[in-house]
This record gives sequence, C-alpha cells and structure tokens, in this order.
Amino acid sequence: MQAHWLKAIVTMTVALLSLGTAQKLTFWHYWDGANGQVLQGLIERYQKEHPGVTIESVFVPGGELLTKLQTAITAKQTPSMAISDLVAMPLLTQSGALSPLDDFIRQSNLNLADYFPGPLVYGLYQGKRYSLPVSASNLGLFWNKNLFRAAGLDPNRPPRNWDELLRFARQIKAKTGKWGIELFTQGGEGTTWQTQVYFWGAGAEFLNANNTAPAFNSPQGVRALQFLVDLVQKEKVAPVAPWGLFGRGEAAMVMDGSWMTQFFPQQVNFELGAAPFPYPAGGHPATNMGGEQIFIFQNADAASAKAAWDFINWFSSTPVQVEWDRGTGFLPVRRSVANDPAYRAWVSNARPLMRPFVDSMAFARPRPPVARYPQISDIFAKYVQEALLGRLSPKEALDRAAQEVTPLLR
Amino acid sequence: MNGVRLQKTPSKASRWGRTLGEWPAALFFLLPTVAVLGTFNFYPALSSLYLSLFEWNGLSPTREFVGLANYSRLLASGEFWNSLRVTLLYAGGVTLLALALGMGVAVLLNQPSRGQALYRVLYFLPVITPTVASGVVWKYLFDPTQGVVNRGLAGVGLQGPAWLSDPSWALAAVIVVGVWKRVGFNLVVYLAALQGIPRAYYEAAQLDGAGPWQQFRHITLPLLAPTTFFLVVTALIDAFQVFDLVYVMTSGGPLGSTDVLGYYLYRQAFRYSELGFASAVAYVMFALIFAVTVIQFRLTRGGQGDG
Repeated sequence: MQAHWLKAIVTMTVALLSLGTAQKLTFWHYWDGANGQVLQGLIERYQKEHPGVTIESVFVPGGELLTKLQTAITAKQTPSMAISDLVAMPLLTQSGALSPLDDFIRQSNLNLADYFPGPLVYGLYQGKRYSLPVSASNLGLFWNKNLFRAAGLDPNRPPRNWDELLRFARQIKAKTGKWGIELFTQGGEGTTWQTQVYFWGAGAEFLNANNTAPAFNSPQGVRALQFLVDLVQKEKVAPVAPWGLFGRGEAAMVMDGSWMTQFFPQQVNFELGAAPFPYPAGGHPATNMGGEQIFIFQNADAASAKAAWDFINWFSSTPVQVEWDRGTGFLPVRRSVANDPAYRAWVSNARPLMRPFVDSMAFARPRPPVARYPQISDIFAKYVQEALLGRLSPKEALDRAAQEVTPLLR
Repeated sequence: MNGVRLQKTPSKASRWGRTLGEWPAALFFLLPTVAVLGTFNFYPALSSLYLSLFEWNGLSPTREFVGLANYSRLLASGEFWNSLRVTLLYAGGVTLLALALGMGVAVLLNQPSRGQALYRVLYFLPVITPTVASGVVWKYLFDPTQGVVNRGLAGVGLQGPAWLSDPSWALAAVIVVGVWKRVGFNLVVYLAALQGIPRAYYEAAQLDGAGPWQQFRHITLPLLAPTTFFLVVTALIDAFQVFDLVYVMTSGGPLGSTDVLGYYLYRQAFRYSELGFASAVAYVMFALIFAVTVIQFRLTRGGQGDG
C-alpha cells in the first residue's frame, strides 16, 4: 500500500516539476508527404528523449512560407524556429529578426569545418552566422542508356567534358533523330541556375567576389553561353521547347536535380544513368545547389532560444542527419554524413543513381546570397533566352544583362 | 416648421427622427457591411497607397520613405510599358473575339432546335472551369510536338509554331484560352437579350423583304447594343486583371511576351519582395481600371443602358 502511495506521489511530483520547466517550441516548415513524416518521427523521438520539451511543428505550403514569415516578423508573432529555402535566406538574415547562432555553435562545439562549403555561405551576414544548412540538393547529368545504345555509343559511359557532350549529342541526333540534350529554356530561375553550372565549369563567376557587381559578362562567361547557343542554333542538338523531353525519351541527356533520382525511375520507361555534370577541358567540376536552412527568431526568451538550439544541434548531428537524408533523399550537408559507412551502403544499394550527386556536394556552389537575387536571376535568364533564340550575340546579351543588374547590387 | 400640421402629438421618437432623418437606423443596419468592407477592403487599399510611398522588402525593420520615387521609377521602366502593352493586347483581343463569337453563337442558338440546352451547357462549361485547371490542360494542348493543336495542324499539312516557347505566339495562345473561357458568358447574356427582342420586328422586316443578313444588321445588332456595351466593359475590366492564366501557362514569358500587369505586379511583390514598388503598380492598375469604368458610366449616362 505504502509503496503505491509513494509511487503515486513521486509520479505526481515529477509531472508537476516537468510542467514547471516545460518548454513549448514552435517550428514552421514546408516539408510535406514522406519528408514531413520523417520529420514528425524525429520530433517525436526527440520529445521522448527530452521530456519537458514539446515541439509543435506547423506545416506551411512551400510558396507561402516566406510570406507567412514576413507577416509574422512584422507582427512580432514569430515561431521559435523555422526553415527556409536558401534563396530567401539573405532577406531573412538582413531582416534583423533572426538570432545569431555563433555563441551556441561555440558552446556546443559544433564543427563547422565538417560542413560542405557551399551551403554554409547562406547563413552568414556581416560576419555573424544566423542559420545552419539542414538539407541539400544539386544538379547533375542524367542520360538515357537506350538512346545511347541506339546511337552506337557505350551506354555506360557518360560524357566527361564539353567536347564529348557535343560529340555524343551530334551522334544521337544523327543516328536516332532524337535531341542530344535538353536545356531548360523557359526562363526564370530554372534557366539561370542551369546556366550557372556551365558558367562556373568554364571558369566564369556570376557576381564579383563581394557580390557588388555582375561578373558573368567575362570572356569565360561569353564562351559558356556561346557553347549553349551553339547547341541550339548551330548544331541543332537541343531545342527551345517546353521542359520534359528527356522524361518522354525525346532527348538523350539532361541536367536535372538530385531529387529526380527518386522520380525518374517511376516515370520513365528506359534505362537511366547519372553522373556529375561535364565541364570543358581546362575548366572546373561545378554544380549548383538548393536546400533548406534552419534558424531561430530573436524574440524568444533565453530559455526557449536555448531549447530551440538544443533541438537544432541534435537535428544537425551526424547520426540524425544520416537518418534524415536516408528518409528524405536529401543530399548530405556534412562530410561525416556523406562518408558514413551506413549512408554510403544505403546509397549504393538503394539509390545507386544518387552516388554522383553525393560526390558532387564537394564542389557544389551557392548562388550569390544577395537580397535581390530573384530579380537578378530573372534578368540574366531573359538575356540567356535572347541569345538562345538567336536575337542577340552571347557577348551582347551578357553585356546588356550586366547593365540591368548593376543598379540592383548597389 | 411653418404649415406643418401634425395629426397627432408627436412622440419623442418621431421628433428625434425629424432632426436626424433615417440616418441612425440606416447606419445601424449598415454597420456590419461597413465593418467588413472597412477591415478587408478599404483599410488594406489605403495601407497599400501609403506603402507605395516607401521602399520596403517586407522583412527589413525600417521602411525608407521615397515619396513618389516608386511611381517615377515605374513610368521609367521598360518592363512596365511592355506589361501595359501586353495587357492592352490581351484585353482587346479577348474582348473583341469573345464578343464576336458569343454573339454569333447566340444568334445561331436562338433558333428553336433540339439540344439547345445541351449546347448552352457545353459553351458555358469553360466559364465555370477553374482557370488554373484550364491553363494546365491548354498547356498540354499547346505542346509543340505532342500537343493536340499542332498535331491537328500537321493533319492538314501545316507546321504549328512552338506556341508557348515562342515570343511571337505565346500571347496568341493565352488569348485563345482567355476567349475560350469568356465566350460562354457572353453567349448566355446575349441569348437572354435576344429573347427580349419582339418577334413582330422580324415579321415586319420579312414582309418588307429583308433577308436574314439585313434583319441581323438592322434589327438584332442595334437592339443588342446596350448588352454589347455592358459585355465590353465587364470583359475589359476582367481582362485587365488577368493573372492566374499567365501564371500557369507561361509565367510571363518567353521574354516578357505575356507579362501582363497582373503578373508583373505579382513578380514585384512576391518574387522580388519590392512591396512599396508593387503597391505603386497596383495603384496605377487601379487608376487604369477606374478610368475605363468612368468612361463606361459617361457613355451609358450612369448605367441607364441606352448605349
């Protein structure tokens, strides 16, 4: 009897104590479907391991999250923490609403050197770090092995440089009548971020070193755009057409994202290959990257900011990231995850197509973290289209784009 | 008060009522509407006007007062003038084509025939189909190689353009969808108006030996004028605000050839976070639509509708 009472009293006391120190955190994100389920599973486990912390995760559809964050910041009704697509990070870090993480990172001994350099660029503003990368994606080459075979090419050998890319594309067009390669010609960010891969590969920079002026109209940039224009205009191995030719088997090669390693196999009826994207002789391996960053808001009191950081620190840890990346198909943001034996084994067995994308993280480059990037991107894409349609020479197109971009960087 | 002889001693309420008229009661009954409209229409509209005098990205803690700089930047922007041109082309194209087609089909459907109701339903379906869904489907129809449109043209030996990827054709393709969505509405309104024309007019004209074309030209067309006017104005106002169709089909491209004002505004506000500048765009659009409405009121003498 006595033991029963004692047990009850102890349980009550523990319950009351944990009520007193209960930390309620809110977390806004846009991960839906399978990704949302993986996140929910991790949050539930975290709550089990950390009694007294409850994390309410709020799903906001992708396109609305930034608008909702804007409203929340204006109304000073921000959640404890949130994620954002990295393109929106410059706006957020400059808003003054985010909490610097440097002290937390120091106290927790989080090793930033373990992170790939590309994703880390976005959280920095005026020497302070406001966010950490929690997921990544990048671009690579997919090719249609059936069309390679039909054209008399080795189906297991992707092009390794631009010369081979062009030679293979010509041979495919000549032997099968299909397009050699599909380019994203519809404008906007889709055109810009693919074109940047060609530019970086050729040794061109998009903006100058401190992001205060355009740099894409360099001789290297002109060379890269000339290569793309030639594919369309002179060689006629790539069309200006709506996106989707590769998936329908009408084009033999395409630059597309790591996420397509999950979708293409369900969508296409041919044998797929994937490889890092080729670059010109004398150039550099390069790819573009996307992904999400996580951050804490200013208005949290010290205790809940600390509680939010503890969750972020746990979520960023190598074992949790391995599980997260395996569950979602996102690419690792940390080298220790990319080199983790269990992760590598999972990629080789379950997702062999993802291997080149994981390897490309080492040279994945960030788009310039400037607040007006979306405008700059649209202007650049518009002039790339002008060149692809043969209305302007590559040099003229890039010079005009630079002229329009310059005032936006002041 | 001279000469007003009241039958009864006035009660308190009616004396009070005489000084204030029916205002208190009217205000009381208007209150819910005023509250809702004020909160959700007038207040945001006025905030937007205020915001158009600032430079603000929606996130920065400070708003920079720039006066009318957003408006002068707007008027100096080539993209804005391009958008205005595209909007006028779209609005003019959709309005005229949908009007002609709507009237033509209405006249044909006005004859008593079997299946008339079915035709009406068929023509009206696009009007109630969600724009986004229509846009997506038409995007497939306009695909240069796989699309129904170009396959149909190939069937008669013509090579269709790359429609939505070709700056010279993309706007035409969007106008086609705009017309397809508008015709049914015009048709139903015209049918109602046609039923209102007395048969006797036509009988008299036939006795005088007028043929079908002359009947249409001298009876139908003039008597439909007020309806036509109403449809022109509503179609213009509607077309001026087009956004969703462009968003789904072309995202304003290629090369800004379908960058209507609605989409231009959306880009400034939600892609570029230029909230002050976007508010200025919104007010310029408001001024344009307001002008169209005023002209309509003048021409119809306050909506009396005698064209």
